Amino acid sequence: MAVTDKRMTLKEAVSKFINNGDTVYYGGFQIMVPMALTHEIIRQKKKDLNIINASTDVGGLDLLVGAKCVKEMHLAWAMNWYVKAPYAIRRAVQSKEIKRYDLSNFGATSAMIAGFLGIPFIPVRGNIGTDIIKHNPTDLKVIADPFTGEQITVVRAWRADVAIIHAQKADYFGNVITWGTRGVTDEFGTMGTKRGVIVTAEEIIEPEITRSDPDRTLVPYFKTLAVVHCPYGAHPSACRGYYGLDIRFSQYQGKYERSKDLLPVFMDEWIYGCEDHAAYIRKYTEKFGQEGLDRLKPILGFKPKLDLDYGYHDPAVWKGVPQYTDEHIKA
Amino acid sequence: MAANFKLTELMVVRCAKEINDKEVVFAGVGLPLVVVSFAMATSAPSMILFTEGGSIRATAPPGLAITVDDPALFANGDATFGMLATMAALQRGEVDVAFIGGAQIDKFGNINSTGVGDIEMPEGFTYFAGSGGANDMATSGKRVLAIMPQDPKKFVEKVDYVTTPGFLDGPGAREKLGMIGGGPTVVVSTMGVYKFDEVTKEMYLAEYFPGQSVESVKANCSFDLKVAPDVKVTEAPTAEELTILRNIDPTGFYLG
Repeated sequence: MAVTDKRMTLKEAVSKFINNGDTVYYGGFQIMVPMALTHEIIRQKKKDLNIINASTDVGGLDLLVGAKCVKEMHLAWAMNWYVKAPYAIRRAVQSKEIKRYDLSNFGATSAMIAGFLGIPFIPVRGNIGTDIIKHNPTDLKVIADPFTGEQITVVRAWRADVAIIHAQKADYFGNVITWGTRGVTDEFGTMGTKRGVIVTAEEIIEPEITRSDPDRTLVPYFKTLAVVHCPYGAHPSACRGYYGLDIRFSQYQGKYERSKDLLPVFMDEWIYGCEDHAAYIRKYTEKFGQEGLDRLKPILGFKPKLDLDYGYHDPAVWKGVPQYTDEHIKA
Repeated sequence: MAANFKLTELMVVRCAKEINDKEVVFAGVGLPLVVVSFAMATSAPSMILFTEGGSIRATAPPGLAITVDDPALFANGDATFGMLATMAALQRGEVDVAFIGGAQIDKFGNINSTGVGDIEMPEGFTYFAGSGGANDMATSGKRVLAIMPQDPKKFVEKVDYVTTPGFLDGPGAREKLGMIGGGPTVVVSTMGVYKFDEVTKEMYLAEYFPGQSVESVKANCSFDLKVAPDVKVTEAPTAEELTILRNIDPTGFYLG
């Protein structure tokens, strides 16, 4: 837990902190998907991962499954929305390479909240009465509320070994900064980890900047294992305030996800053929030009207008000031 | 007013009329995001939008939100929590309208967004995305509004997998399980509008779109569809409505 500089390369972070067989919280939602980390896990051929998450888009998890890194997944929603299907996941379920356990979004989020709280399970209103609960007794049960006797669904706690997330900024101690949602479920998926969090960030900042506005810290340094400076680390998903969703590339990637014979061709070119994420982005600009990246620029102009100050009071001003009393409370 | 329109456009315009002003609407990914922006620009200027991504806002987003955590939903929003805050409001019973899509629906309004085939035999099961928040929304929202293209493979006697509860196997099933939400009230497709019988909880055709007929809708529905005795033709969208709608999704990402 020491306060140390945790910066390292993508390659170092994945090789040092992700083991075969780990349970991994897969960060983000429909945007902020940890794509650079996904690619690096594939490059390092990690095996038998157990993925936990609520929802995940742009086919990042599809790539991870297609590359045979995953053994099991517990989640509510996964696909590449831009081709409207989770092709590699679908094939891997059919061939029984992976086991998929379904819950609702808040079922999955509640499982992570229970992990965040350090408690064994938590009640949730959804899932009851449907095929979700019928086919996932591993994560969900219906019990009698011990106070009223009424039936209620409970979901077991999930605690990942390690979390992988992408963020807008992080300081080099590992304080992770986000704005515009707290990463949908990232605050629970990260803090509930047993070992800690690997973060890729668009920008690395000085800790004194973090400390000037600590309300924005999503993950405090003591949960962070590695900080990787990684511009475009969520591409082709969006990163709030930095770039929008790359619809064209998501569709392009999706056309490869569709076929088990084509997917390795995509991986050879865009993952195995790139030594790191900077090389992937270089390849992108070779193929789509700088205007490809320029098209992703966000519409800015939404800076906070709230003026505030984290000022505190110094109790030393009371030094030497006698207690106040009057005739009613005398002796 | 005989403006040219796509059936998807009428589906969105008609669906928006199911949202009352000042209601709290929890919108899922896809067409619901277009419908709420349209509703905020027309008949429900004071509605409040919630999404799974954690957006809480009383104004339309500045641009088209493609995802439920789209940056457009948080630019000048009222609150930018994550999933916890909006889903907690659902569980507390504070959401008026749960607004979802899906891949299959049956006559009791049960929705499948998990996959087709028999999940007990995974080699033949074709996975879709999964529940996402649809199950949570339909369990606890005060009422459920569903939007789904009309297709005999989508309007089925029995869904392959109940992802999201409608009235399950009929009257009383939701109450028995302690669900706090009232269940589905309206389904809008690309051919018509469906409501649910108060007693039997079965879906019936309440309106069909201009150019359609009871027969054409029935031909695109795989269960024996009941029809309201006073079934009527849905009003076509006005030119003004179409202009507003097309400005919300100018590239036709969702409207086609």
